[in-house]
Amino acid sequence: MGSMFRSEEVALVQLFLPTSAAYTCVSQLGELGLVEFRDLNASVSAFQRRFVGDVRRCEELEKTFTFLQEEVRRAGLALHPPEGRLLAPPPRDLLRIQEETDRLARELRDVRGNQQSLRAQLHQLQLHSAVLGRGHRLPLAATPTDGLLERTPLLQPPGGPHQDLRVNFVAGAVEPAKAAALERLLWRACRGFLIASFRETEQPLEDPVTGEPATWMTFLISYWGEQIGQKIRKITDCFHCHVFPFVEQEDGRLGTLQQLQQQSQELQEVLGETERFLSQVLGRVQRLLPPWRVQIHKMKAVYLVLNQCSVSATHKCLIAEGWCAASDLPALQQVLQDSSSEAGVSAVVHRIPCRDMPPTLIRTNRFTASFQGIVDAYGVGRYQEVNPAPYTIITFPFLFAVMFGDVGHGLLMFLFALAMVLAENRPAVKTAQNEIWRTFFGGRYLLLLMGLFSVYTGFIYNECFSRATTIFPSGWSVAAMATQSGWSDAFLAEHPLLTLDPAVSGVFLGPYPFGIDPVWSLAVNHLSFLNSFKMKMSVILGVTHMTFGVVLGVFNHVHFGQWHRLLLETLPELTFLLGLFGYLVFLVVYKWLFIAAAAPAPSILIHFINMFLFSRSPTNPLLFPGQEVVQSALVVVALAAVPVLLLGTPLFLRWQHRRRSPRPAGRQLDEDKSGILDSSDASVAGWGSDEEKAGCPGDQEEAEFVLSEVLMHQAIHTIEFCLGCISNTASYLRLWALSLAHAQLSEVLWAMVMREGLRMGRELGVAAVVLVPIFAAFAVLTVAILLVMEGLSAFLHALRLHWVEFQNKFYLGSGYKLSPFTFAEEED
Amino acid sequence: MLGAHCPVRTRAPEHLQFGPAPQPGHPAPAMTAHSFALPVIIFTTFWGLIGIAGPWFVPKGPNRGVTITMLVATAVCCYLFWLITILAQLNPLFGPQLKNETIWYVRFLWE
Repeated sequence: MGSMFRSEEVALVQLFLPTSAAYTCVSQLGELGLVEFRDLNASVSAFQRRFVGDVRRCEELEKTFTFLQEEVRRAGLALHPPEGRLLAPPPRDLLRIQEETDRLARELRDVRGNQQSLRAQLHQLQLHSAVLGRGHRLPLAATPTDGLLERTPLLQPPGGPHQDLRVNFVAGAVEPAKAAALERLLWRACRGFLIASFRETEQPLEDPVTGEPATWMTFLISYWGEQIGQKIRKITDCFHCHVFPFVEQEDGRLGTLQQLQQQSQELQEVLGETERFLSQVLGRVQRLLPPWRVQIHKMKAVYLVLNQCSVSATHKCLIAEGWCAASDLPALQQVLQDSSSEAGVSAVVHRIPCRDMPPTLIRTNRFTASFQGIVDAYGVGRYQEVNPAPYTIITFPFLFAVMFGDVGHGLLMFLFALAMVLAENRPAVKTAQNEIWRTFFGGRYLLLLMGLFSVYTGFIYNECFSRATTIFPSGWSVAAMATQSGWSDAFLAEHPLLTLDPAVSGVFLGPYPFGIDPVWSLAVNHLSFLNSFKMKMSVILGVTHMTFGVVLGVFNHVHFGQWHRLLLETLPELTFLLGLFGYLVFLVVYKWLFIAAAAPAPSILIHFINMFLFSRSPTNPLLFPGQEVVQSALVVVALAAVPVLLLGTPLFLRWQHRRRSPRPAGRQLDEDKSGILDSSDASVAGWGSDEEKAGCPGDQEEAEFVLSEVLMHQAIHTIEFCLGCISNTASYLRLWALSLAHAQLSEVLWAMVMREGLRMGRELGVAAVVLVPIFAAFAVLTVAILLVMEGLSAFLHALRLHWVEFQNKFYLGSGYKLSPFTFAEEED
Repeated sequence: MLGAHCPVRTRAPEHLQFGPAPQPGHPAPAMTAHSFALPVIIFTTFWGLIGIAGPWFVPKGPNRGVTITMLVATAVCCYLFWLITILAQLNPLFGPQLKNETIWYVRFLWE
């Protein structure tokens, strides 16, 4: 178990798997997740690989599984995940699983089809009986004699041929949505030659397709005339109505009804049987499907890996190549031996030298995983370079807290994170699907530390929901100022604003021992003091953070054995950074310690500007004697460090290259010309020895060294560093900006919301009642604006400070992660 | 600007007069002066214990390196932050500007 400081040692291994035991070996390796396989058949297309047939069979099976799953879901049943650990089944089981699956699928399809058709028939019968069974009040009775009297139409039919007034009926059912349109169309088309009566069915009938209950409108149309009849039939056809034969006589209808009842009863029995059988089949599917899915999934994965192996010359074993952590090699040996114990020959693994950069492996636990995650989001570290994550565990929440400092808000964040941490093992919490919740839950340890540090910085800023606390008595005495300056009541009444003068004795009694003095929260000019304080704090923290970054680079140089870079890069970098900005920090601290309020105070900013311009301002007093000499010397030294940084490493590497392999000058020229085409090798030359150190003895990269490439890289690095020093130091001023924004927002919220509620009248009860909604508004706005919005904002800026200002001093981040072949992740 | 809220007073409001008003020329009963050395000693010792002595007590295990890093980083960050704050207030170049209402109230309250 390595530490988090740099990647573990990862070795390139070659596995010899006997053909008979290859499947078992790979499946065991997948269970353990030790090796990341490399594709040895990259030039071969997917269709030409050895095990493509097996992969195809697995995929077909998966298609059938999807169909079965869909059926189960349609029936409203759930598929439970299988219990226990299932191994990939041996290849001979594939056939059996395939047969059973096909049979189940076939049965299911048949039963479903039967069920559908039975249901449709039942629906028709029900409609028919509904239509007949309606007590449609016939406007015309069946017997002709009586009917003649009632049948007299109100309108005389035009013309003679229609004298044959034999009444015919059309009965059917139509969807209720279309009923009104049907009625209208009938009326318009047939114009009084029919009487239609529409009635809704009493009970809703179950729709055979969707299964939802739907009501139908039954209609009975009585008409006379053949042409009218044809028109009516055409219209009902258009409307997709179900038309049933209608017998005029009452008893005929009753007989039909009885028949229909009988038929539908029989149908329902058959339907019941069918559905029982269906549920049986579905039960079997429910039981058998989940383990099969897991097994076939694993089998397919194993075959995909086997496709990546190459076949040895004798065709007796498969050769696989992969990356494996060096500390896992014994376990790997053991697994291979166990898996291939049945076969005569045992599988062998041995380490081979590698020329490529190995993947990075950093083991994390659930606490460190989130911090490693935010570092990896920028870029996974190169193999064995220094990992910024262990330092980020503390500096990230700290810089967040500097921008967020408030005891109340920090406490709320801490409690929220604590609740998540304490409940992290509950299954309900683990299986929640909401993405936003999962994001917060994944960062619970991050939030915990952020809240904790925010409480601390809140105490230092002396802010609790924007209110200051007087844990210790304030260091400013208003009374002393009042007595010394003769502030009578009259004087005070005339002057709305008065300033305490620290030069007057007794007014300033000493610095507040922990944090910002609470008197500043009462002061009108508190921003003048706080801005100055926070800006200087930002610069100090920034220079410290960046210096730490440069120092971390030392560990990289030492680890990879590039001692020349210590002298030729780190030293000039530190000289430049500390000579200029370290001096600025020194000036700030010096002024804090030694400059009192007596005389006009020197301005650090003017001094700093003059330092670069080699000029002086006569009105700006010196901080200490000899300051100008010191400043000039520092600027000269810092500027002298720049060419060392620019030219040191390239010249040294050229000297080293010449010393290692002396060649005639002619060949040197050819190499320089051809070197333009070698894009990455020159840069590898400088960093080439990191592979040597990493345990993979690489080829001696003697041939490729191009001075122009190395110089260009170094020039870019120099410019980036030097200009970056200035811009990055200024960038740290966002610590000031965001903490100011947070403080002001918090202050405004208090003043506009809570204070209004608290200064309500003194009558009993008024303030109490009013405070309830006011506090609700205050709480909601605090959480929404100050916690969520400001929290996200400070999180983002702290992240940027880490990714850019801190990490560009030492971190390359151009590696890739070791992603071993495992079944665990794929089982989602 | 204050005239809108309160009429011009010639005396401090009755309820704010606690004790005898101090005579001009006599020093007011002094508040406790804050020393600088004592907090520095206390906090340096505190964070020094955490950052320098703490790592010796971390139990051996796979997380020892990370835990030690965390302790040292916490000590350095928090100590530095506190130190900056107290140094910034050590020699103030200007004082707080208070409203007269505040002066009336605080003058007698913070004694």
